[in-house]
Amino acid sequence: MARAFKDPSEVIDAIEEHLPALYFVFGRAKAEELAVELGKKWDFLYREEKEQVYKIIEDAEAQNPDMFLHRERIVLKRLLLKGIGYHHAGLSPALKRLVERLYESRLIWVLFCTETFAAGVNFPAASAVFESCRKWDGREFRQLLNREFFQMAGRAGRRGFDEKGYVFIQISDKYPEETGFFKESEVEMVHGRLTISPNTVLSLLRWKSDEEIEHFLKNNFSVFQKRRQLEEINQQIIEIKKTIKDLEQNFCNEQHSVSCPLIRKKLKKELRRLKSRRYRQQPGSQTRIRELEKLLASLKKKKCKEVKCFDAARNIRDLNNKLDFLLYKKKQREYEVEQYTTEFFRMRDLLESLGYVKGRTFYPRGKFALYLHIQEIFVTELVFSGLIEDIPSDVAAGILAGVDYTPGRREYVQPPPYDVDFVNELRARLMQMGVPEEFLVWSPVPGYIAYAWYNGKDFEHLMQNSNLQEGDIVSIIRREIDLLRQMEKASVENPLLLEKLRGIRRALDRDQVKVMF
Amino acid sequence: MPQANNSNSNTRSGSYSEESTEKVIKLDKFQVEAIEAVLRGQNVLVAAPTGTGKTLIAEKLAEKVLGEGKGLVYTSPLKALSNQKYSDFKKMFGEQRVGLVTGDITINGDAPLTVMTTEIFRNKCFEDVEDLNDIAYVVFDEIHYLDDPHRGTAWEEAILFAPPHVKILGLSATVPNVREMAIWIGEVRNCDVVVVEEKKRAVPLEIKWISPDNRVLSKSKAKRLVKKLCSKTDDDGQYKFGERKKHNYQKKR
Repeated sequence: MARAFKDPSEVIDAIEEHLPALYFVFGRAKAEELAVELGKKWDFLYREEKEQVYKIIEDAEAQNPDMFLHRERIVLKRLLLKGIGYHHAGLSPALKRLVERLYESRLIWVLFCTETFAAGVNFPAASAVFESCRKWDGREFRQLLNREFFQMAGRAGRRGFDEKGYVFIQISDKYPEETGFFKESEVEMVHGRLTISPNTVLSLLRWKSDEEIEHFLKNNFSVFQKRRQLEEINQQIIEIKKTIKDLEQNFCNEQHSVSCPLIRKKLKKELRRLKSRRYRQQPGSQTRIRELEKLLASLKKKKCKEVKCFDAARNIRDLNNKLDFLLYKKKQREYEVEQYTTEFFRMRDLLESLGYVKGRTFYPRGKFALYLHIQEIFVTELVFSGLIEDIPSDVAAGILAGVDYTPGRREYVQPPPYDVDFVNELRARLMQMGVPEEFLVWSPVPGYIAYAWYNGKDFEHLMQNSNLQEGDIVSIIRREIDLLRQMEKASVENPLLLEKLRGIRRALDRDQVKVMF
Repeated sequence: MPQANNSNSNTRSGSYSEESTEKVIKLDKFQVEAIEAVLRGQNVLVAAPTGTGKTLIAEKLAEKVLGEGKGLVYTSPLKALSNQKYSDFKKMFGEQRVGLVTGDITINGDAPLTVMTTEIFRNKCFEDVEDLNDIAYVVFDEIHYLDDPHRGTAWEEAILFAPPHVKILGLSATVPNVREMAIWIGEVRNCDVVVVEEKKRAVPLEIKWISPDNRVLSKSKAKRLVKKLCSKTDDDGQYKFGERKKHNYQKKR
């Protein structure tokens, strides 16, 4: 059978002296497949070490009896006993913790992992291997940034253990052009990335003075950087203007007369053009031709001793082109500097049109949205349409799980046993009212997960009724808990709603989904 | 002296995982510089490569701030990191004095040393400014997240609106414009910001490439091989993605 990847055991053969290794892979399935493949040929642990691993696993299982039961994680258990592991966002928190613990106890010799591991676990290995240098960034596959690469590569090299941290980049024979060559000297600059969200505008209006808002809009990092660029551009413009002026010193006082060779050259060029087949029939051409001929004949060409004005003229022309470009750039930057102010007022207008605020007066919707930090408009409208209060708690749990959720391509969850049309109708209505789609992100897909979990179903039931991994399920519920906490804070003035939301949250925050330390 | 250093690290090998908490380790120059600056009460921005011990600076600062009966907020970009930092701090300073606040959990939220996600700290700067009255310092771990297209806003808003009495310790990966960041922070918060930069890694990196037939290659050899492989795929029937499509299309016709 043709494999979609290269046998990692050969790579490990090649770098045998530099273990333990973190083997960076971009994709969960790949991490698992590679680990299994390596396990067919390698076993890194001595007997005593295996016993140690066994004991640590046993302890972990005592706390989480079913941690290896889902999605054939039993394979991982067998791999761990050989000193091989994998770690990605799809694992349950308990399994992730176990793998991290074994790795930090130096009982994992090759760990196939994703970028999150490098960021989250502050513990080095002897080497880092990059199976590929491209990652999915939520929108597209792209080459790693220098910064990202060195953040991950920096996990190679144990202080006091290794003289060097070895980093290995695999060259693929299928896509050799994707091979990464990174340079530490080319690490990317940090740029300001401020975006104006509904919550930002509400928070500013509610808690900050006019001066503070102005400060925010005019002095954020992005504007600061643009302003510095602007200063630089202005400096360049001044310099160029000065150079042009200096260059003009090269001209003699006949520079505007027809005797000047430069002027003559220009006039002759025009003459040639007018005489060409294309222009000579056009109205006015003949008059101009006669005029030019007369002009050229009126004075003799001056004999210039020095011809530095020729060079000067050419330089001035080049500089003027450069100047035009800089002036264009300047205009652009000036526009960008003002952009945040424009966006702020655009957002405020939208919030006013939806009845959240009027100037600095807050209406109930505005007061509610003030405490929300994801999809604030959509969630507020969901609450104020009365839907959350009217529907049963389990349905509410299901609906809220979909807030700000974008399902993956191959994701499957059993459809929920309730109707979701009303949510889509609400979104359509809001879109008609001018709310941009990015503020109405919602999906029915994860609904059943939260619905069933609220109703006391066990974790295995959720696994059986979806193709999600343990980590995904936990993340769906934890995100909803986060949202519910925001909504609770927002609904202090509505005790009934508050009670309902708190009830949902308490029912959700249990067993495998609970955060453990 | 290298020898002394070696024997020192050998004795530490047994308790390697506790490196950062151990008191005997010799501090690097940039660490000393940064620690002295924060102990003097200055705003500090530290840029150093991964794994060089930036956290230690924050730990020394926490020790001092807690000793003075004041509070410290430690923000980190990821929930997983927050949880880990919380566990570390608990071991170091005791359960009573350490708290954790993320979007979905609050443990001992009024503790003098609280670990938070940056978003939570940002929210406090608006909603609950009085919670921050006793806070002397905020630590922004991985402050270069400012550059994150989706989440960078939280860092900017936090830096712009953290109450004026709160000092900043920013920990960043190596980036070329740390100084620009420092100038900006100084300008918007009307304060001086000390920049401490370390370019050298604790353990230097050696980057190698692995060929499709598993040879370990140097950079120049790797570049040559890549060039060769690229030209090969162009003309010997191995189509690249776009070309393959075109080819199929022509066949169908």
